[in-house]
Amino acid sequence: MSQFFISILIILSGGFLSLVLARQVKLMKIITVFLLSTGCFLGLMDAVIKIMQPSSAGASFKYLNVFSLTFQIDGLSAFFLVVIFAVSLLSAIYSFHYMDHEGKAMRTAVNYFFFSILIASMALVVTAANMITFMLSWEIMSLSSFFLVIYKHNSAESRRAGYLYFVFSHVGAMFIFAAFGIVYGYTGSFGFENMNALSETAKILVFIFSFIGFGSKAGVFPFHVWLPHAHPAAPSHISAVMSGVMIKTGIYGIVRIYSLLDFHTPLFGNIVLVAGVVSGILGIVYALGQQDLKRLLAYSSVENIGIILIGLGIGMIGVSSQNPLMAVLGFTGGFLHVLNHSIFKSLLFMGAGMVLHKTGKRSIDALGGLLKNMKITGTAFIIGSLAISGLPPFNGFVGEFFIYIGGFKGVALDKSAFVMSILAIVSLAVIGGLALACFTKVIGIAFQGEPRTKAAVNVDEKGPAMLISMSILAGACIFIGIFPRIFIYMSIKAVSALNLGYARVPLEPFEQMAGNITLAATIFLITVLVVFAIRWFFYRGKTITSSGTWGCGFTQPTVKMQYTGSSYASFLLDFFRPAAPLDEDHPKVTGRFPLNTYYKSCVNDIAELNMKGVIVNPVLFLFDKLRWIQHGDIHLYIGYILLAIILLLFFI
Amino acid sequence: MIESIILWCLAILTAPFFAAVIIKVKAFFGGRTGSPLLINYYTLIKLFKKGSVYSTSTTAVFKLGPIISFACAITVLMFLPIAGHNSIFSFNGDVIFILYLMGLGRFFTIAAAMDTASPFEGMGAAREAYFPIICEAAMFMILIFFYRLTGQLQLSAYFSGDNTIALWNLGGAPLLFIVISFFIILLTENSRVPVDDPATHLELTMIHEVMVLDHSGPDFGLIELGSFCKLFFYSALVSRLILPFDFKISAIGFLIFIIGLIIVYVAIGVTESVIARYRMDKVPQFVLTSFALAFFATIITLEFIK
Repeated sequence: MSQFFISILIILSGGFLSLVLARQVKLMKIITVFLLSTGCFLGLMDAVIKIMQPSSAGASFKYLNVFSLTFQIDGLSAFFLVVIFAVSLLSAIYSFHYMDHEGKAMRTAVNYFFFSILIASMALVVTAANMITFMLSWEIMSLSSFFLVIYKHNSAESRRAGYLYFVFSHVGAMFIFAAFGIVYGYTGSFGFENMNALSETAKILVFIFSFIGFGSKAGVFPFHVWLPHAHPAAPSHISAVMSGVMIKTGIYGIVRIYSLLDFHTPLFGNIVLVAGVVSGILGIVYALGQQDLKRLLAYSSVENIGIILIGLGIGMIGVSSQNPLMAVLGFTGGFLHVLNHSIFKSLLFMGAGMVLHKTGKRSIDALGGLLKNMKITGTAFIIGSLAISGLPPFNGFVGEFFIYIGGFKGVALDKSAFVMSILAIVSLAVIGGLALACFTKVIGIAFQGEPRTKAAVNVDEKGPAMLISMSILAGACIFIGIFPRIFIYMSIKAVSALNLGYARVPLEPFEQMAGNITLAATIFLITVLVVFAIRWFFYRGKTITSSGTWGCGFTQPTVKMQYTGSSYASFLLDFFRPAAPLDEDHPKVTGRFPLNTYYKSCVNDIAELNMKGVIVNPVLFLFDKLRWIQHGDIHLYIGYILLAIILLLFFI
Repeated sequence: MIESIILWCLAILTAPFFAAVIIKVKAFFGGRTGSPLLINYYTLIKLFKKGSVYSTSTTAVFKLGPIISFACAITVLMFLPIAGHNSIFSFNGDVIFILYLMGLGRFFTIAAAMDTASPFEGMGAAREAYFPIICEAAMFMILIFFYRLTGQLQLSAYFSGDNTIALWNLGGAPLLFIVISFFIILLTENSRVPVDDPATHLELTMIHEVMVLDHSGPDFGLIELGSFCKLFFYSALVSRLILPFDFKISAIGFLIFIIGLIIVYVAIGVTESVIARYRMDKVPQFVLTSFALAFFATIITLEFIK
């Protein structure tokens, strides 16, 4: 355990020193990034060792006997620690050149300070072993990320995003508090150990409350509303960490509570799976409708959380219908997708950050042709897109493959498990197709074609630290896609820590699946090489000329004639019209010689659209009626406190 | 193994021939003699002899498109049990890999089309991204049906040896739905008429053809050959389904398989001749039919198996 705490200390000292050295920007950045990455690297090594040699390590601190802070690392924690430290490490390196442009030294220092706290608190969340430790770390994580979101605090948009995030994370925390409160009411202790002693109704209630609470952090539909606002507002390396890792702590919470409750009702699996299906499909539909690159990526995180939940749901259904193979497949697939999504999503956010850094444009319809001058960024982005669409031989496929096989195991069952499995499989297929459409849109519009505005003309890519981080992540996407064995092993270790009553998970069937994936990927890559050779053979000594794109006879093409992202997606979005209403705004074209005109469109998120009417307005109305309580008279406030204490004495 | 590899090579080599059957049938319906059955080979040879013109808007992705899509098409054939013989490779879950590999091919076809900055190709790409989503859902529904019957998740478990006969014995009439469903998927995935019309002169109305407008020479040859292979893959599946008989003598087995293939290709030709292309917004409904059929088939088997 000590190595874990040492790495946390190094990370925190990096954040602290950034404040001290804020005046010497260069020095501050070198020292901070060095300390952050050293800390993350040590933590990563420690976590990998802990997975490989499973041993439960724990540590406990008591302060004045008032409350005790307890930490524990088991397989599940170690798996999430790997994800947290790996992505934070690369984001820290990436930030070295990303934070170059901003002339504001103090702001950069504060950013690093909260960044280090965020990394440390995420690591503490997944190792916390009692409620107090957990909620303390959880709140520190929420608050530090809140300060990171309002990085550009002088822009109203950022402040609004921060506010929204603040409200969501605290309403979520309130639900978690409620869940923990029920547990405390039954067990009378703050420990996690005795949760299985709860009555069945209480367990269901605890699970639902914590699902809402953790779901609002993870970005499960309809609690995802903050995500598409907060992610674009934060600097890109922060978005990478938030979207790649922080939202996964919500997944961790759901899995942890599930494992602690030790209650195998089909209800849990069904809830999680249906939530996954809805988040998955709607997330990617909304992503398809976005023009802002980072917003699009944020919505796609909602989709990937959906895929993870589908995997977990299949796992839970497998457990409740006593089908261990299906259970392990589902959970393993879900965990693999946690790891994979953290890799390709942070890669994509870093790519988006590079684009934003160099062009200053967030809308993909203002870009185009970036691949020509941004070779490394463009290639990395394409690899990330292939991986996020779940295509072989990239890492996204591996997790989905496991979830599919698990789902098919459920098809052989009957009744609700059968229906749920069909739902899972078909929606995974639809999500895969939509993700492909969404990311071909991003690549096709932003990176290919011709520049649509001046900002996108001749954009270079600079900043070795940024390029290195992206290249490592892109390499990881390919490596895991071809050689997933060790990562599957890691996920299975995390599954065996779930306390599902499977004494030891046999590894053979999974080793075989890993072998099959490697085999299939190798066959495909060899085929590609052979086709390359064939192509080379036929092009030997041929004349190759270049000319303009065939405009179907039209001789005066302009870049404005290119297909836009909105038109690319509109055909598909039509199909989902009821769930994704489209707002269009354009004046009528009149007269023989129409003057300048415009067209605006925006795809609405029904959760956000209805949030105002269903929740915000009634709450505002209620509190408006209660406004008389707040009158500003201090005597009466003291009176309130006294009254509250007396009432509490009577009733409790 | 060697036998399977020879069959695989034969499949790639004969795929253009079978595709010409469609042209012949359409010519017959049009009252023409039509081009010879070897026309596709002539075209391919012509293309492979040529050089290429590349648009100045394009990047390396444009050149990668034909390579990847062709590699995907022939890799998929490696997993196909041709004429009931074992496929070269086969493992539990290979169907999922195949379907996703086709997705990879599609990704690069679309990316190559978007690379040209042409509005027409963008339009084609948007449609190419749309319709196969429904096809994929239908394919997975069919897989669920097959899994329900056999408990297996590999192509060879459905299509090699006497497995297909066993499938009919287990599934019975609902399998007819699957055949129709497969045929609809075949038409959609291979951009045939009522979904797409490669023969029109207006780029606006095409899907697949418009996406490859800017490819030329050997690159275009690879794309063409790849699409023949893809068509062969689907036709082989349908052919096995409609003539599932397994004779121990392989010559008769082959003959039956080829007859099945020709029936499928003729059916495509007839469909193309008697039906007009649907309006674009009607196409999703047509494709959804395949999903609905597979879904009904699965529901029916629920009762049968009990």
